[in-house]
Amino acid sequence: MSGPLEGIRVFDLTIYMVGPWAAVQLGALGADVIHIEQPNVDPSSLSAAVPPRINGTSIGYITWNMNKRGLFLDLKAPEDRATAYELLKTCDVFMVNMRTGTADRLGLSYEAVSAINPQIIYCSITGFGESGPMATRPGADGQMQYFSGFWSTNGARGAEREIYRHFTQMDGSTGNYAAQAILMGLLARKRTGKGQRIEVSMLRATTALQTARIGEYLATAEVARPLGSAAFATAPDEAYLCEDSQYVGISVTNERDWKALCKAILREDLLSDPRFASNVDRVTNRDALTAALQPVFRDKPQYHWMMQLTRARVPCGYPMRFEQLRYHPQVTENGYIIDTDTSAWGHVYTGGPPWHFSQTPAQWIGTPLPGEHTGDILDEIEQRRSSLPADPEPPSPAHPEPVEGRAGESPAVRRV
Amino acid sequence: MELGDAGADVIKIESLSGDCARGWGPPQEGGTSSVFLRLNRNKRSIALDLDSTEGIAIACRILSSADVAVVDVNRLPDPSFRYEQVAESNPQLVYCAISGFGDRGPWADRPSGELPVQLMSEATSSLGRTGEPPVRAGTDIASMYAAIHGVQGICAALLARDRIGSGQRLDVSLFGSLLAMRSTLWVALSNPDEWWGFHLDSYVKPPDHGYPCSDGRIFVNLAGMKKGELDSLLADLKMDWVRDDRQFEFLAQESTGAGRYAHTVHHLWDRGIQQFTVAEATNIIERHGGLVFPMNDFKMIENNDQVKAVGMIRSVEQPGAGRIKEMIPPWDFADTPYEIRLPAPRLGEHTDAILKELGS
Repeated sequence: MSGPLEGIRVFDLTIYMVGPWAAVQLGALGADVIHIEQPNVDPSSLSAAVPPRINGTSIGYITWNMNKRGLFLDLKAPEDRATAYELLKTCDVFMVNMRTGTADRLGLSYEAVSAINPQIIYCSITGFGESGPMATRPGADGQMQYFSGFWSTNGARGAEREIYRHFTQMDGSTGNYAAQAILMGLLARKRTGKGQRIEVSMLRATTALQTARIGEYLATAEVARPLGSAAFATAPDEAYLCEDSQYVGISVTNERDWKALCKAILREDLLSDPRFASNVDRVTNRDALTAALQPVFRDKPQYHWMMQLTRARVPCGYPMRFEQLRYHPQVTENGYIIDTDTSAWGHVYTGGPPWHFSQTPAQWIGTPLPGEHTGDILDEIEQRRSSLPADPEPPSPAHPEPVEGRAGESPAVRRV
Repeated sequence: MELGDAGADVIKIESLSGDCARGWGPPQEGGTSSVFLRLNRNKRSIALDLDSTEGIAIACRILSSADVAVVDVNRLPDPSFRYEQVAESNPQLVYCAISGFGDRGPWADRPSGELPVQLMSEATSSLGRTGEPPVRAGTDIASMYAAIHGVQGICAALLARDRIGSGQRLDVSLFGSLLAMRSTLWVALSNPDEWWGFHLDSYVKPPDHGYPCSDGRIFVNLAGMKKGELDSLLADLKMDWVRDDRQFEFLAQESTGAGRYAHTVHHLWDRGIQQFTVAEATNIIERHGGLVFPMNDFKMIENNDQVKAVGMIRSVEQPGAGRIKEMIPPWDFADTPYEIRLPAPRLGEHTDAILKELGS
């Protein structure tokens, strides 16, 4: 059985990470995602050539374009633009993440695209939104961490706050919110029979990710200081040093788990300590709680606590690294890190589908070369065109955009 | 809540003691945790005794007429709520099961939470220093990613429902979602041409606190600066002393932001930049083709012109707490602008209404 989005087709005019990552999710769910690149683009220039690279191509491009087919189009060339319009008639989703106005100049504004296909879900992803003083500023992961305050809740206790060094969380979460919104748009379409325009910005997506922390600020107007491994809203919820100099992290978020913890660590006396009676008490008296618990954990090795707390069903864990994760049964049996074959870069490890469907399984397919499927896709378009009654008018939007580019040039699309 | 924000009728089935998140915090507003209030709008609440057969039966009746169920499968109150049981009376149901570590494998049954999953997915290696206590991401990334994947899966399964003629079960987990969001690292670890670079550096660089100005911190990226601008930039930053430093050669390229040598010469840039205010440093650096962003905390965000222009934060009436501030959802649908229909419910606020709808 194929994926849940079988039969859905996506015109993926996105670049770098945010847009392409959103499209990766749709492709994993079974949609036919057609990713557009400039004809004969140099693979070593893709995704701004950010290292590391495999066979000369940035691993960013490889990661963010899985589950797709590749099509070459030069949208400034009239023939290719006509091809795009033919293709759009068969698409359910249009995605773009370029600066405000770029899509319009390419003849792919919402007005133009919806005139060709009123059922299309048109998703535009921007950095800061389409209005306001920063509407034309580009968004990128690093700057969004700083701008959105994502950096401001990370840091060792008493130290200066720090950025999250893996720079794809802002791009990734924006892409995921965009994919979610597109799916909601497709659901709405079932009811209304028509498509619509959807907008997602990195600014709003990255702050939405921080709803809990921003909510705490909005309630108090106080900027909280970071707490190392400790949670802001629950306690005890932090990592403790054990006898063998390893850490165990626990997360007690409800009264049942608080009782189970105290029993498991042989400290039921803490249950009658008024400083720790409720979660609010424990958070308010966090320092006293840490002082009470730290020596308990320090007294035995990490493995002892993992066994005790797991039996007591108190959430617990310890730091793991890729070498331990890669072949850990919990990862392999769930397919959370997989080995996948790509067209030009060999086998790569990547995250597997995060959803398991009982009827319509998701998939994860290695990255194609840019434009790799141009021949197939052009054939499909041609077959469709020749099987329909002849159009009295050639395909074009109601108000054609001016076509920039070099007049008289032969079509830039190459058959592979 | 995402589904409620999108217009679905969401019924939150709570035990008589309620969702534990009501007791989170401080801070609290009107006696309920501020986090709870911002994760539970646009829902109705029914409170049931889930230890009694009567309470379980009512919950099952709600499930039997729902399109979607969202279930914490590690903490099921009763076997009646397992997918196999529920799907018998409602084969059209899309059942989204959320677990800590995944629905298969040796940890399938383990309850979990944010910190254990951040630790186990090596997410804490992107923060702090090796050899020092682990530092967690203050944002609950594992939980939020699982939620977003859950909503994606639910929408996809609803779309598939007509085609395949039934609902289905879908599983997401905090562990799987956080691992998925680190995909770029797994690819980077797959025999790259050279064992360094933007993504791999996250494992080996020290904590980065941005660049300090006299009145705040900034992010600086000189990658877009033209060759030959460095000299005049250093002059304008009154940093001519840096030419005598033995590490001056590293200043010439990839020496800021996430650049390869940024941490090597960070202290040099710090010394220069801290003489200026955020406004002054921004002006000087951008004049020379660099990119500067302020490092905002939430107070700065609330007062930011762009944030105000897009209307990101609204004030709403929350019964029991007065006016509270919250954010609008991150997406804009042109045909269906967002409106807050229901504030976060009191425990069991809609019990009577829902029982009436069920025909009790």
